[in-house]
Amino acid sequence: MLQPELVRLVTDARSSVKSCDEDCSSGSTGRPSEDEQGDLFIFTPQLIHLHRDHELFEDGDIHRHMYLQDLYVSEADDKPSLSVSEFACHISGCSAAFISLEEYEHHYNSLHRHVCCSCRRSLPSARLLDIHIQEWHDSLFTILAQRQDMYQCLVEGCGQKFRTSTLRKDHLIQIHKYPPDFRFDKTKKDRGTRQTKRQQQKDTAMEVVDDVCESEGVCEVMCDVLSNQPEQGDSMEMHVGEEGAARMVKSASPEEHVHLSAAAHSTENTSTEPLKPRYSYRIPTTVCFGHSSVRGFRGGRGRRK
Amino acid sequence: MWRLNKVRHKAGRQGDSLEELKLKRREHEKALRQARRDRQLVSKRLLLNDDEDLPQMVTSNLSSESAPWREAHLKTLSKVLRDPSAQLTFIKQENSMHLLVGFLTGSDATCRLQAVRCLHELSHSSHTNVSPACLPATPYLLTYLSGQSTKFTELCLYTLGNLCPDSDIVKEKLLAQGIIPALANCLENQRHNLAVVEAVGFTLSQFLQAKDAAEKIILTVLDSSLPSNLLSVLTSDPKFGLAPAIECAWCLHYLTCSMNDNRVLLAHGTLLQCSSLLVSLGGAVAEGNKEEGMELFICPLLRCVGNLLSSCPGKDLSTQVGDVRIVVALYALLQAYLQTQPALARESAWVLNNLTAHSSAFCSALLDLNLVPGLIQLLPFSQGINTMILRILANIAHKKKEFCAQLAHHGLLSALCATLKMADQEMVTLSMDVLYMLVVSGPQVAEEFVRQGGLSLLEAIQYNSEGEIRRRATHLLEDHLLSYSSYLSSILRQ
Repeated sequence: MLQPELVRLVTDARSSVKSCDEDCSSGSTGRPSEDEQGDLFIFTPQLIHLHRDHELFEDGDIHRHMYLQDLYVSEADDKPSLSVSEFACHISGCSAAFISLEEYEHHYNSLHRHVCCSCRRSLPSARLLDIHIQEWHDSLFTILAQRQDMYQCLVEGCGQKFRTSTLRKDHLIQIHKYPPDFRFDKTKKDRGTRQTKRQQQKDTAMEVVDDVCESEGVCEVMCDVLSNQPEQGDSMEMHVGEEGAARMVKSASPEEHVHLSAAAHSTENTSTEPLKPRYSYRIPTTVCFGHSSVRGFRGGRGRRK
Repeated sequence: MWRLNKVRHKAGRQGDSLEELKLKRREHEKALRQARRDRQLVSKRLLLNDDEDLPQMVTSNLSSESAPWREAHLKTLSKVLRDPSAQLTFIKQENSMHLLVGFLTGSDATCRLQAVRCLHELSHSSHTNVSPACLPATPYLLTYLSGQSTKFTELCLYTLGNLCPDSDIVKEKLLAQGIIPALANCLENQRHNLAVVEAVGFTLSQFLQAKDAAEKIILTVLDSSLPSNLLSVLTSDPKFGLAPAIECAWCLHYLTCSMNDNRVLLAHGTLLQCSSLLVSLGGAVAEGNKEEGMELFICPLLRCVGNLLSSCPGKDLSTQVGDVRIVVALYALLQAYLQTQPALARESAWVLNNLTAHSSAFCSALLDLNLVPGLIQLLPFSQGINTMILRILANIAHKKKEFCAQLAHHGLLSALCATLKMADQEMVTLSMDVLYMLVVSGPQVAEEFVRQGGLSLLEAIQYNSEGEIRRRATHLLEDHLLSYSSYLSSILRQ
């Protein structure tokens, strides 16, 4: 209901109201002239003329004709439902829709907020994001890790550090009772792992890429890059060793060189079993990482809306 | 004359349960919607005798010996003709229409009345080939429009109105026979007679809804005395019932929406009258006096004002819509009908858009009268309501930087943070534009936006699937919000 003073305003014929004897310079001279980017923002006030058959008039017309045909009912028995706008995640590649803002916020905070700029991977918290960036994209870290314990325990407050991620993983499992397949402790060695068809590819878990293209058509480019890699990887890794490692290194971006070769070196000796998958310095498939349902910025391999 | 509660009694006595009635109504409504989409939405009206309520089984009323047999037979005939198959049978018979016309033009007044009743039943037929069969009678019906007998004139009018939509031939003939001048005269001479006025309004509206009305009919109508008389009906005393005013308002609506150039109607003061009517109606609604059937009157008034505004040159706005209180009235209508008739709320918002598009005065009125917070609260509602409201707010923001500051003060920024996340792409685009206007209006607004977490929102929008939206977000961030230190620190955090 209207406030009482407004009711009075509109019903009291004697109230003095300033009439609109003003302006109306046609056009938008009220706005100061914008910078040259002003044409990005295109809104101008518009007089809207609606012709007889316009859809905006449909309900009113129907009501009128129901009245003419003696079918009028005053306050409708079936109340026309007033509907509320839905929300939708507009992040490129994500098409989730929500009834409420809270749902939207939860979705966004869970899946899109803590995203690594370099590799577009989504982490659930700022801390895990920080650790991820450190361990994956920081060359200084890589160097230091060779000499000291740099891999932090993921449990906040624990404070322990480890020389390798494997050791940390063991710690997490043993001491903190983490599952062996904890999703947010993927190691860098899995990069480029086209976790094979055997792993669930049920959705949009997106893996790392080396070279992230900054252009708009991000999805296609990245997916292409990614799909190219395993072929390379496969053939290369058939021949584990310097050569393979070196070739991998070449295809990676410069800052990763050191790390990769380090990784290659450190895991060479673990990749001896003939039954192991071809990706020799990768984590065995019994231990799965990263096939989480985390929805990153990219909607999955090649899946671009 | 139609009394709305008559309908309910009718429905009740028919013996259908409430549920069945609802079902019938819903189906009927669906059929009407489809008809409208096919541009085939027409209605006919059946004027019932005062002594009957329903189309019931025919009982011949031959009890009175003194009643002339012709009259009795005609009365029986009129009841028989309510049946569709009887209608078809009748028109197939040779000379049947000729006979009827004979009674229509004969010296016996009672027979004339019964004859016109028969014609009225025929005109209400849903078979499209019945109307052409009635053509021989039409010249006489038209002649009788200048008569003085209320009931008779009413029947003639409704009959003509029913005949109109069925075939183009019928329509052409009626136009050629001068129906528009006849209606104009009838309305002019019988302005005091509300039943006749309502009937004229209905019949005229049938012609105005014709597909090619704009070319042929409307110009003739605008040239006549009809516009000013229709207007005067609108402002007549409402205690005599809304029905005549409803019909005349719909006529005016069909006139305004069919033409792009409404200068003639503007010259008659249509905009002025309709907008003052809306002010008083808005006042009544605000006080809680929602008379039954009021929305049937408000709807065409809204549409007249909306469309007339779009043809009104800006400089004339103050004379044509002198009363700033119209914005309050529209706001009251919006709020009052939001839940029960969302379409009416949407049309009210549309009119507000047209009012505020090029007028700082109306924009300022919305702000000064503190109506903006209420408008902002309507932004969750879809089906065209929120887009129209956002347009209104955008109109306000577009006028002056001071307005932007006031809008921000009323909470528009946080509302935008929500609307930017809506599924409706038009809402997102509009929201970006409004946000831009607010942010560039001054440092306080920009700072407030940053304080409300707007930066991370825009950063997220930089990953929007639409390129246009991405570019806008980037532009806002880089060119307008870069100076805020919190932005810098958020970069470093990454």
